[in-house]
Amino acid sequence: MGSLILGVEALAFLEKEGFPVLRSFLATSEDDAAGKAAEIGFPVTLKLSSPDVIHKTEADGIRVSLRDESEVRQGFRQIVGTFTTDQPKKRLDGVMVQAQGGGIEVIVGMASDEQFGPVLMFGLGGIFVEAMKDVSFRLIPMEAYDAKDMMEELKGYQVLKSPRSGYVDLPAVQNLLLGISQFITRHPEIREMDLNPVFVSSHGARICDARIMVL
Amino acid sequence: MNEKLVQVFSPGSIAVIGASNSFDKLGYHVMKSLAGNYHGKIFPINPKSDRIWNLASYPSLEAVPGDVHLVVIAVPARMVPDTLHACGRKGVRGAVLITAGFREIEDDGGRVLEEEIKEIAGQYGLPIIGPNTFGFVNLSSGVNASFTSEFSRIERGGVALISQSGGICHLCGFLAIEQRIAMSKLMSLGNRCNVDFPEVLTHLVEKDSSTRVIALYIEGLDDPRRLLDAAKSLRGRKPIIVYKAGKSEKGDSASRFHTGSLAGNHAIWKGALRQAGILEVTGTEELLDTAKAIDSCSLPGGTRMAVLSGQAGPGMIASDALEPAGLKLSRFSEATQRRINDLLPPIAIRTNPVDMGPAWYDPKNIIAILKAVIDDEHTDGVIFLAMYASANLNLAEGMVEYMKAAHPFQKPVIACFTAPPGIWDEPIGALDRKKGVAILPTPERAVQAMANLWKVSFLSNGRG
Repeated sequence: MGSLILGVEALAFLEKEGFPVLRSFLATSEDDAAGKAAEIGFPVTLKLSSPDVIHKTEADGIRVSLRDESEVRQGFRQIVGTFTTDQPKKRLDGVMVQAQGGGIEVIVGMASDEQFGPVLMFGLGGIFVEAMKDVSFRLIPMEAYDAKDMMEELKGYQVLKSPRSGYVDLPAVQNLLLGISQFITRHPEIREMDLNPVFVSSHGARICDARIMVL
Repeated sequence: MNEKLVQVFSPGSIAVIGASNSFDKLGYHVMKSLAGNYHGKIFPINPKSDRIWNLASYPSLEAVPGDVHLVVIAVPARMVPDTLHACGRKGVRGAVLITAGFREIEDDGGRVLEEEIKEIAGQYGLPIIGPNTFGFVNLSSGVNASFTSEFSRIERGGVALISQSGGICHLCGFLAIEQRIAMSKLMSLGNRCNVDFPEVLTHLVEKDSSTRVIALYIEGLDDPRRLLDAAKSLRGRKPIIVYKAGKSEKGDSASRFHTGSLAGNHAIWKGALRQAGILEVTGTEELLDTAKAIDSCSLPGGTRMAVLSGQAGPGMIASDALEPAGLKLSRFSEATQRRINDLLPPIAIRTNPVDMGPAWYDPKNIIAILKAVIDDEHTDGVIFLAMYASANLNLAEGMVEYMKAAHPFQKPVIACFTAPPGIWDEPIGALDRKKGVAILPTPERAVQAMANLWKVSFLSNGRG
């Protein structure tokens, strides 16, 4: 069936492969969380880290825009408290402390199709992918042109282009897509992957969360 | 394979195995398609008759004197393996296997039999079109190797339609006759024993000078990358358009990944076709309209369109259709506008969309306006709309006269000429597909075909 790589571990793997990720650490205690937050610099985000939980929001496992140590400590206590009370049977790895991301959310993903083999997906995040299924696919490997073309194919492409969104570093997104295509070619053991969300802004693209299934 | 296919599609001689004089046999209908139509040698094969369709017939393929290039096989499935061995021994170049009852049937025996014939074909290096096909029609060289003789009525032209389904060939083939679409090839690949889309695609691009546009109808392929890789390696040489059926398939609902659950078969096809430089169309009308436009017109260099209409309403709906299709109204240069103003009195709207109503009785001026907008450097193509009214009876014939001396248009012109049956039929036939003009039934379809011409132009040339 293969195994799942999640959260901090997945981000570390991607960073090692040269991809831009938000700085992230796993904290196993309140003191640890406070120390990691100071090391990253405020504001930070806290996220529940459990192999048994897919939707962290539904488990009340996310705190964003924490501005100082006391907010981080309080957030840690709340997340762990809620989780151990509500879901005593589930495993807890700790809480991820992550640099606060910003910009437009996009999703980059990969799947293995029975007929086509490895395929790459790109879409706008949040409601665009959930409700409107506004995503585009390309076969892996692909060329630089395809990376650009699969962005332009989205109905919501104007969201990325609109001045209201602020300047979005589209070449950085294009590089990320192309890089992921090459990464998957180098790692045929990867069967499925979600990079969701990836934040894109004028500062480039930053992978915020990742799930990887390897054989 | 490629060399053999040249002889398969333009054979100097054809044997029909299972040829028959009785209407209830497919071998009868294959003979009907060939006799009196095909100019090479025809050898009917049937152990029980001497003459079939008034031609000398032979008891077996071995008994045929001389070379046989193509065989058309219409015998029961169980007899096919022996028949193919006979073809191999005779050294035929290829076979059309009309017989059904192979892997398309529920009974597992069909799949086993198909494996067997595949092996025999491999043994002799024998290309097989089918099994489970109506055959093929090569209009460019006057070969109707199918069981539907009426396909020979399709005009000869540049559209090759290659289909996974014989039914779609019948749907599109008869519409082609009705809508003056001119074809080079019409073919169903059936179960694709060893002649599949990539082989035919390569043949049509590299070896078939009569084909200008390749239209594919695809239901599903075991190895789609083979077709896509072939298309990629041939990119920019001939436009390829695809109508892909089977859109209802969803992604993997069991996947716990967003990507996996969204990666439906059609969603991937859509991206993969675009990646291979292939235009995807989503209906029969769009497939045929687009193929006809590509076969008839120059490709546009951009998206700026002139709309010329004899009546305001059709011009308005054509203009409305431009933007959603990715096109826009062009803004004429001053010189062009002056020229139009000279040709039209000021009682009409003379800016784009141009109301040509006041010139309606003067085909010479209509042609002059058309030429002026085509020469305009800010215009990439023209939508031309003419509805019949009793008073403009002579318009279409007048246009035919003036078009005789005209040079072919270097920009696409897609037109609607609408009249009661029998009134403008002849001039419409004389204008359609000549000098860079394609005629389609409605303004919206004209605009959609124009938009697809632009997409084809972009897919072939625009890759940065």
